[in-house]
Amino acid sequence: MSEKVLLVDDEKEFLEIMSERMEARGMTVKTADSADQALAMLEKESFDAIVMDFKMPGMDGIQALKNIKSQKPELQIILLTGYATVEKTVEAMKIGATDLLEKPADLESLAATIKQAKADKMLVVEKKTEEKIKDILQRFGG
Amino acid sequence: MISFRSFKPAFWDHADTPGSHSGLNLKRKWKLIVLITSIICLSPLVIMTLVDFSLTRRTIETEANTGMRTSLNTLAAVMSASLAKKDPVSGAQTLWQDTFDLPASGLPHDLFLMDDTGRLLTPSFYFGPPDTRPVLDPGLFFGPDGIIETRAPDGTKVLAGFAQIPGTPLMLVQLRQADWLRDLWLKPRLKMLWFLCASIGLILLSIMGLATYLVGRIHASERLRIEALHHEEHANRLASIGRLASGVAHEINNPLEIINQKTGLIIDLLTLGKDAAPDQRLLPLADDVLEAVQRCGTITRQLLDFARHMEPSVEPVDMEEVISQVLALLEKDALHRGITIQVDPVPEIPGFECDRSSLLQIFLNLAENAITAMETNGILTIAVTHENTDQVFIQVSDTGKGIPPEDLPKIFEPFYSSRTDRWGAGLGLAITYGLIREMGGDITVKSRVGKGTRFILSLPVKAVKKASSDGYLHLPKPDFPVRSKPADDTSGVVHGRQ
Repeated sequence: MSEKVLLVDDEKEFLEIMSERMEARGMTVKTADSADQALAMLEKESFDAIVMDFKMPGMDGIQALKNIKSQKPELQIILLTGYATVEKTVEAMKIGATDLLEKPADLESLAATIKQAKADKMLVVEKKTEEKIKDILQRFGG
Repeated sequence: MISFRSFKPAFWDHADTPGSHSGLNLKRKWKLIVLITSIICLSPLVIMTLVDFSLTRRTIETEANTGMRTSLNTLAAVMSASLAKKDPVSGAQTLWQDTFDLPASGLPHDLFLMDDTGRLLTPSFYFGPPDTRPVLDPGLFFGPDGIIETRAPDGTKVLAGFAQIPGTPLMLVQLRQADWLRDLWLKPRLKMLWFLCASIGLILLSIMGLATYLVGRIHASERLRIEALHHEEHANRLASIGRLASGVAHEINNPLEIINQKTGLIIDLLTLGKDAAPDQRLLPLADDVLEAVQRCGTITRQLLDFARHMEPSVEPVDMEEVISQVLALLEKDALHRGITIQVDPVPEIPGFECDRSSLLQIFLNLAENAITAMETNGILTIAVTHENTDQVFIQVSDTGKGIPPEDLPKIFEPFYSSRTDRWGAGLGLAITYGLIREMGGDITVKSRVGKGTRFILSLPVKAVKKASSDGYLHLPKPDFPVRSKPADDTSGVVHGRQ
């Protein structure tokens, strides 16, 4: 099963090439050129992972990350950044980013991270489902 | 011989260029201080001396004159008694000859008898033997003081004391050189004058010393103020260079990313594409482009590192919080590898301050290194100790594969790496070393092949303020000497300090 990825970046050229390259690696890619657009798309569709630029005009990566995480906590978000300082990384990780990769990004490691993210998401979803089932069982059993 | 130049204070030749010295002419200030203080200190002294001078002179003169008058009057009274019922002139001359047969010995105190016409009756030092001619104008010898000032025949200024012998027309006259008295009071005064001059000299010297000290202090504080201003200006300029560098680096990163991805796409098309076999030269060319992009990426990252380093901000830091932040980053990786992270209770470190991001970077680099060294299963231990008040010791140890003794001296060198993946640029420990040195700390490493490695850091509790930071991260030079102390063939110690 292919990974479904939402790619968010304000550079349209970057979106085109990345999506083409990622699709060539068997992923299903949707793109958004702003955080607002990405949030709108997330309401309609579900994704395995989001790859998002840290620095964008309008809503920046950290704010978008907060918004997405508050809506869909199980969603795996990988941040791309031109320059990662320790503080920035710590902040992103605290909010719940899956990973933070530096540009120029190596597509192979990005793909590996996405695969890992999908597995993690499945784990979270599985756990949640398990809990739900347990909850239902308890309710009916009790 | 001592050169006078060595006494010259630093501010003496200081050029009073406008702008550089806020219009302070220190030499003039010094002269003014010396002049005013000298006037204030020395004028009472000089006035007192002058008053003493004239008072003493007057007292001695009055005393001498009174003495002379009294003795003349007494002598006159005695003579008057002896001459009673005798011819005054011949009687007096006989009495004189009997009693005061003073040869003209050259004494300046001339004593003689004279009658009311001014004739000399007895020998005199100034006027010679008795004469029938009048030698002095008797009209002069009047007055209540009994002393007049006149001139001797040789032109010498003399004081003449006179006393009328009661009951006779005779007059007793004593002549005394006017400056004879001066010897009496001036000589001791002149001796005193030496003492006065020496005191004035001492006072002047101490005034000059004090003025030099004060103006020197003004000069020093002024210089410090100007240096601080320059330093601030320099720091501001560096900070703006830093901001510019960071802006440029961020802007370059975006097009660089496009080149990176497009080249990646070309490679994708060449390798994944199903088209007819392309030109064999294309693939290596695209790889070259990618390599160049990586190099550019390294440069922009270094620029950003440099820019970020421009403004190290010292602030109070909670060591425990920093450690927990770093561990939050590494926990996942450690969990995947089955590595246990063990943090000993962090002691309270009152007043600990440093550049927070540098400390984060140091911990992150060391912990990442440790995790990488262990690969799977192991224990990463972080221990902070604070024994004496001015230093904090941090130990980061792992149970990994260790570092062979022959590699130990090289680990802090830039571009030394035992890792083969792309993240192992070999700068981690070099940067860590640079950061620690800049914080005024030190790093030591002990390692045993197959057992593990322990890094021991010492950091000052109070941040060390650098006199002038050039904003550059100082890495150890590739051939920097290290103290190596191998305990046996499989272990060693290396000290980061040069």
